[in-house]
Amino acid sequence: MLSYNFKYELKLLLRSKWIQLLSIILLLLFGFSGYNGKEKVAKRKAAITAAQDEVKKNDEMMLQLLDSIEKGMQVSASRWTLPTSPMAVGNYHPRVAAMESQSMAFIATGQADLFTHYVKPKVSGDDAALNFTEMTSPVQLLFGSFDLAFVIVYLLPLLIIAFSYDILSAEKESGSLRLLASQPIGIQNWVLQKLSLRFLWLSVLVIVALVITLFILEIAWFSMFTAFMLFISIVLTYMLFWFALAFLVNLWVGSSAKNAISLLGLWVLFVLLIPSTLNQVSTTLHPMPSRTLLINEMRGLKAEVAKKQDKILDNFLRDHPEYAINDTTQTRGFYHRYMASQQLVKGELKPVITTYENQLQKQQAWVEKLKWASPAITVQESLNKMAGTSTGDYDHFRKQVVVFAETWRSYLTPFLYNNQNFTQKDYPELPQFVFLPKPESKLHLVPVILLGITTLLFGIGYISSKKFEERTVLTSF
Amino acid sequence: MTRKTFVKESKELFRDGRVRIAMFIVILLMGISIWISTQHYQNINKQYETAKTAERNVWDNQGEKNPHSAAHYGTYAFKPKYPLSLIDQGVDKYVGSSIFLEAHKRNEAQFSAAADQTGLARFGDLTPDFMLLFMIPLLIILLGYNSFTKEHEMGTLTLLKSQGFSAWRWVLGKWMALFIPILTLTTVLFIVAGLILSNLKDFGIFDWNSLIWMYLLYTAYYIIFVNLILFISAKTKKSGISLVVALSVWIVSCLAIPKAASNIAEDKYPYPTRQEFAANVLKDKKQGLDGHNPWSKEAKLLKEKVLAEHGVDSIHKLPFNFDAYRMQKGEEHEADIYFKHYNYLKDQFTKQTKVYKGLAVFSPYLPTRFMSMAIAHTDYATHWNFADAAENYRIATQKFLNDDFAKNSAYGNWGYKADASFWKKLPVFEYSPPELTAVLSQNTLNLAVLSTWLLGSFALLSFIKKI
Repeated sequence: MLSYNFKYELKLLLRSKWIQLLSIILLLLFGFSGYNGKEKVAKRKAAITAAQDEVKKNDEMMLQLLDSIEKGMQVSASRWTLPTSPMAVGNYHPRVAAMESQSMAFIATGQADLFTHYVKPKVSGDDAALNFTEMTSPVQLLFGSFDLAFVIVYLLPLLIIAFSYDILSAEKESGSLRLLASQPIGIQNWVLQKLSLRFLWLSVLVIVALVITLFILEIAWFSMFTAFMLFISIVLTYMLFWFALAFLVNLWVGSSAKNAISLLGLWVLFVLLIPSTLNQVSTTLHPMPSRTLLINEMRGLKAEVAKKQDKILDNFLRDHPEYAINDTTQTRGFYHRYMASQQLVKGELKPVITTYENQLQKQQAWVEKLKWASPAITVQESLNKMAGTSTGDYDHFRKQVVVFAETWRSYLTPFLYNNQNFTQKDYPELPQFVFLPKPESKLHLVPVILLGITTLLFGIGYISSKKFEERTVLTSF
Repeated sequence: MTRKTFVKESKELFRDGRVRIAMFIVILLMGISIWISTQHYQNINKQYETAKTAERNVWDNQGEKNPHSAAHYGTYAFKPKYPLSLIDQGVDKYVGSSIFLEAHKRNEAQFSAAADQTGLARFGDLTPDFMLLFMIPLLIILLGYNSFTKEHEMGTLTLLKSQGFSAWRWVLGKWMALFIPILTLTTVLFIVAGLILSNLKDFGIFDWNSLIWMYLLYTAYYIIFVNLILFISAKTKKSGISLVVALSVWIVSCLAIPKAASNIAEDKYPYPTRQEFAANVLKDKKQGLDGHNPWSKEAKLLKEKVLAEHGVDSIHKLPFNFDAYRMQKGEEHEADIYFKHYNYLKDQFTKQTKVYKGLAVFSPYLPTRFMSMAIAHTDYATHWNFADAAENYRIATQKFLNDDFAKNSAYGNWGYKADASFWKKLPVFEYSPPELTAVLSQNTLNLAVLSTWLLGSFALLSFIKKI
């Protein structure tokens, strides 16, 4: 029966041009979205390289200037930009702290259009005010990106629905079900076989279309074979989930139109309603404190601090007697006071800043727990994580930058308080930023759990339909 | 004929359990979303008021200070929320709500809400605009997909044909049966929204005209969908296929085309990255007059020019503080540079908008979305308008401070301090968004595209006669 079914299905699908149509649609969708993903990654890489080149060029100029000054020559640059001053180095020659793209970055835009991929932290200014958002048209952010993840999460289920909503009901409606009923096979077995075959064909088409797309786009998927296999297994189990729903709906609901409505209702539920409701609930449960009010707080603090700058500097120097010992001139200027005050402001603001981080983390943890409420969320989040563009990845990058900003500052402030010049000799010692990607854990569990959910759904359908199969299937017409 | 068809279709719809459930769900979600938005709106506005007063207090009570120190200390411009954002949140989530106004620098609006949310936020929010733009068209599909196909399937078409009926009256009956429930729903929703808005205290002036325009806009959007769905239903043989085709139209116009448009727009007219933008500005700034640098070539040229104008040979003899004068000139030069670079951004944005408008030919969603955001003052253009107003205020503030510095101190006197009462004389930053008429005249192209869609979809309906 299986082999007969297999031959018949293939003939049916080919004759109705389903396979041909699906191949073209899939190729077009994957092609366009893959191209978009690739362009985005290329743009990101180019921007980082350009920034690094610029720093290199500026560094050469800085070294030349230092060389001239150390040789006692006259230089034409403004006094306060001379790189002998450690604060000038810290402000005018910042390093690039860049978040390099991961090898799978092309599959999901994630938060990549919202956040920037490199910043240049300076010695002055506040860490809290470091702007990590990218200069993107908000319209673009509102509409989102047509990436592979969109095709997989939103569109693939619709193709599956169109491909499988009427497998049982069409037989019923054309009257061929009565013929089938005379065959020695249970109805759920037969539906299962039919669906498995369709799943098989769709999987083959999806994999082939993906490989062709990657081949045309010259993305070296083979070099990241394990990641690619994980990606494929997530996609296939997600597809299987929708086939399981189709199985249940085919068995439980009646006519083709009713099946289609039920499946589309499920699509709206899983892809649109559950995510937006969960988002609303997560922001209500763990609301972000107002950034506007944070500004107020920061301003109030700074106004207070500005009035007591001298006292703050005195206190600071008392806490750091090493500076008083090493420096014989004891000159104190604007930056001495400024840096000491900044340190104080930073310490005072720290608890407020941490609330933001904590709230975001709580939201994220909540989402992690409830993402299983909808496989669409699970898959989107997993693809984002694979691509290295999830909220967690940017959070990880932000934290590294804040640490680096502190390293940068603490390398240069001793020069300031010792009233010591920055020299050519010190240049190689300047701290460099090294980006460490977020270690990904447990992603391989996603397809396993999805598979578990799917098996459960199939099992429910299989057992429950056995009971009322004769009654409903054959007497309804 | 029309009336009978209408009555029969309506009865059928209300007997259908799925339709009742769907209606109930839509109304429930709509209620929830309006409630959430109202809370959000009141919250944000309260914060806005607090922040604005607190910031002004900080500014007013700076005490004795050098005007240029005050300029560096700066102040903030906060963006208010407007009443109709209750209905359409637009791009508000993706743009910052406060701009830091300081000397020498034009800053961008900071702290967008989206940056403080998880990736889940990108799926969308449960807001009234989500319901209006996405869910109600889906409801139309659910109500209308089998409007004609069921006549085929149940064999009633043959009966109808034998009666010698007038096709257009029949179609009109079906059209009304589909449109009137949707119209009722929309009308009720807008009346409720209007009542809520006019009863919110203290938060901006709510304009019924804008609400009526929005109502008309969404009505037109739904008529387009009603026409399209009826057309699809008439041209397909099976209900299942009709439903799948209708849904494909929905997903293409509401999800796929907007996303594709955003990719194409970015590909063709990219924005610079934030760092690139900053680097370009810096490059231009280095070439011009720097108010803090008296030794540059430009500063010397300025000095000679001013000395010649006043017929004196030394800047000490000038009737004002030349340091402050140079500072103001530098400020003006920097403002020009920012103006140039932001104009480039605006230019890219205008070109991107053209891409969106071009693709609106394939999607009635796009013009509706843009119009709706524009009327609600939550679109990108309003944000630009606000940012420009803040920039003008910043320039005026710098002039106010530098003028005082120039008038009341002598050259070289950096120790000069303005009175503690001086800061109160700076006018308060006030911003009001463009009027409805201005918004509409900016959106004539969107209106035109939407009208074309409306007429075109009616033209499609006229083909149904030959069923």
